[in-house]
Amino acid sequence: MADKDSFLHLARPLGPAPVGAQPSTAPLTVTIQPQAIFSILDHSLRRPADQDRVIGTLLGTRSEDGTEIEIRNCYAVPHTETAEQVEVDMDYQKQMLALHLRANPREVLVGWYATSSELNTFSALIQNFYGQQGDGTWPHPAVHLTVSTVPGEPIDSRTYISAPVGVTAERAADSCLFIPVPHELKYGEAERSGLELISSAKDREDRSQGIITDLESLERAIQHVLDMLERVTKYVNDVLDEEAEPSSALGQFLLNALSLAPKVDAADIERDFNAHIQDVLVVSYLSNTIRTQIDLSNRLATAALTLGSSDALAEGGAQREGGGDRQKGGDRRGKGRQQRAQEA
Amino acid sequence: MADFTKDTPLKAVQVEALVVMKIIKHSQQTFPTVATGSLVGLDNNGTLEITNCFPFPTIDVPAADSHQHDTAANLAAAAPRAKANVAYQNEMIKFMREVNVDANNVGWYTSANMGNFVNLNTIENQFFYQKEMNERTVALVHDVSRSSQGSLSLRAYRLSPAFMIAYKENKFTTESLQKSGLRYQDILVELPLTIHNSHLTTSLLHQLPSEPPKEALSFPPNLAALLQDPNTPQPPLFPNYDSLDLSIDPFLEKTCDLLLESIENHHTELNNHQYYQRSLAREQAKITAWQQKRKAENAARAASKQPLLPEDEWQRLFKLPQEPSRLETLLNSRQVEQYARQVDGFTASVSTKMFAVKSNLLPGGE
Repeated sequence: MADKDSFLHLARPLGPAPVGAQPSTAPLTVTIQPQAIFSILDHSLRRPADQDRVIGTLLGTRSEDGTEIEIRNCYAVPHTETAEQVEVDMDYQKQMLALHLRANPREVLVGWYATSSELNTFSALIQNFYGQQGDGTWPHPAVHLTVSTVPGEPIDSRTYISAPVGVTAERAADSCLFIPVPHELKYGEAERSGLELISSAKDREDRSQGIITDLESLERAIQHVLDMLERVTKYVNDVLDEEAEPSSALGQFLLNALSLAPKVDAADIERDFNAHIQDVLVVSYLSNTIRTQIDLSNRLATAALTLGSSDALAEGGAQREGGGDRQKGGDRRGKGRQQRAQEA
Repeated sequence: MADFTKDTPLKAVQVEALVVMKIIKHSQQTFPTVATGSLVGLDNNGTLEITNCFPFPTIDVPAADSHQHDTAANLAAAAPRAKANVAYQNEMIKFMREVNVDANNVGWYTSANMGNFVNLNTIENQFFYQKEMNERTVALVHDVSRSSQGSLSLRAYRLSPAFMIAYKENKFTTESLQKSGLRYQDILVELPLTIHNSHLTTSLLHQLPSEPPKEALSFPPNLAALLQDPNTPQPPLFPNYDSLDLSIDPFLEKTCDLLLESIENHHTELNNHQYYQRSLAREQAKITAWQQKRKAENAARAASKQPLLPEDEWQRLFKLPQEPSRLETLLNSRQVEQYARQVDGFTASVSTKMFAVKSNLLPGGE
């Protein structure tokens, strides 16, 4: 989203450092996890009709030296803004922070967000509130994240930290110098599957998508890879026919990729393949057998002939015995199978 | 919740992208411990729209030894029905209302590992929600291990009305099961689930890397430049190439372990039942013997014109053993079914992949 931005990094202390300590001058990098952005967008949709922007608190983790910040979570904070004054519900902010800390003690306050790219006097005021001593992020700088949510325009996000400016104490309280810092949007391995599904709905009219099965997603992935192979093949053929411009770098890259193909003996492949496919099929077969057995056992247990009358009791006991024996059989087979799975 | 919607049963569940991401994050953080949280949203004419969620507080038990670790896991699993969390939930919802979030509790979510969520904890939580809070609530189950294999596994479940009645009475004897016809397949009802994106999310997603650029790019001067080129497209979010991953053994091993565990449980339950049947038969035999003895005695007394002894005294003298609850067996059966379906799905995709790999490595082999 913003990773193509390049910044001029100024070597300056990160925020007010305690006297005597050597302040770090390393540039600050901010990573944002997608759920935080999603949450901000959701909040922006739910803003009161008369408000242009809404704000909220960013939660996340900070590396030990304070140069890396990961924004992991956020929550909305109600505020009202008029031409003359701004009012932030500080009580709400404090209580909500306490609630979040109870569920997630590791995520601390790192800054705040606003859903408009504009920086004004009020931004400075709020920034100073979040960066203050005591409840704020002091001694670390508070991170300010702006996400523009203008309809019809790309969503643009920026991150800033601030430095105090102002000649007098009163002026310093409501002004600050916002310094842009680089940030990137990062998603982890686990979030991939979720993002996959979410983004598969992006081209649909109704913006919704049912859960897709493993097989469907496999089919789509294979289809996609085939398309890309097609494209590469076409390019290579064009180069051979002297219709496209050749490139040695691309050629090297393709050669590197091709050399990754393992050289294995055909007989070995055959053997490994058979061993594995048998494992898979056996487990599938056995699990279905077990399911049938359990179903049978349940049906026998509640069958009419085991009705609680004293006459049928002896009979019921015999039935049950039978079910138990079968189950033991299943158990034994299960163990054998597990061994096989481990050998493989 | 408005009364007029009470009549239409819940037909589907629609989950916002935000909720999906939040659940994934929370589940991943606490894995392999179970993560639980609360869902808020709206009931819209039979479709339950889940628009936000928040995690329940974690209970910090110093993990000194394995025993305490177990209790921590149990506490997390039981969190949705813990009293402290109900208060937490209400407070959180109260705060969320102030920022215009749909402030109705519509259920809870839990994380699972290879589909091992069919257990007493889940049932009790959902029962608690459907009974205490609101009838129209769902449990979302996110399977962390299966999602890491490729496609997302997120499912919505409710308890069936028949099971609710049975559980309320806490009667799971053979006789009551025969009468109600409750089978293990009927415990949980799965609701179809769809993911929904807001307009802004859609807009954001269109900015994220997806398709490789269609137009021709300029050629890189050398290999290093190609590898560092910012225009090199990132692997797209959709379709997910992770689903091409060919790892078979960990899945099979884990599933086998879980299946074995279930079988073991089933066996224990069967043994309990057998024990009950045997002791019941023994008691019954004793009673019959006593009755016959009493009858013979009475016959002798009648012959000698003495007053007859009462014949129903056995009810006081003997006590029939209590039939063990069949609930555990039912849940276990449902769990086995879950595993079996899981294996079926896995077999389908993995055998496809294996044949693909084989024919790729042995071109013209077959």
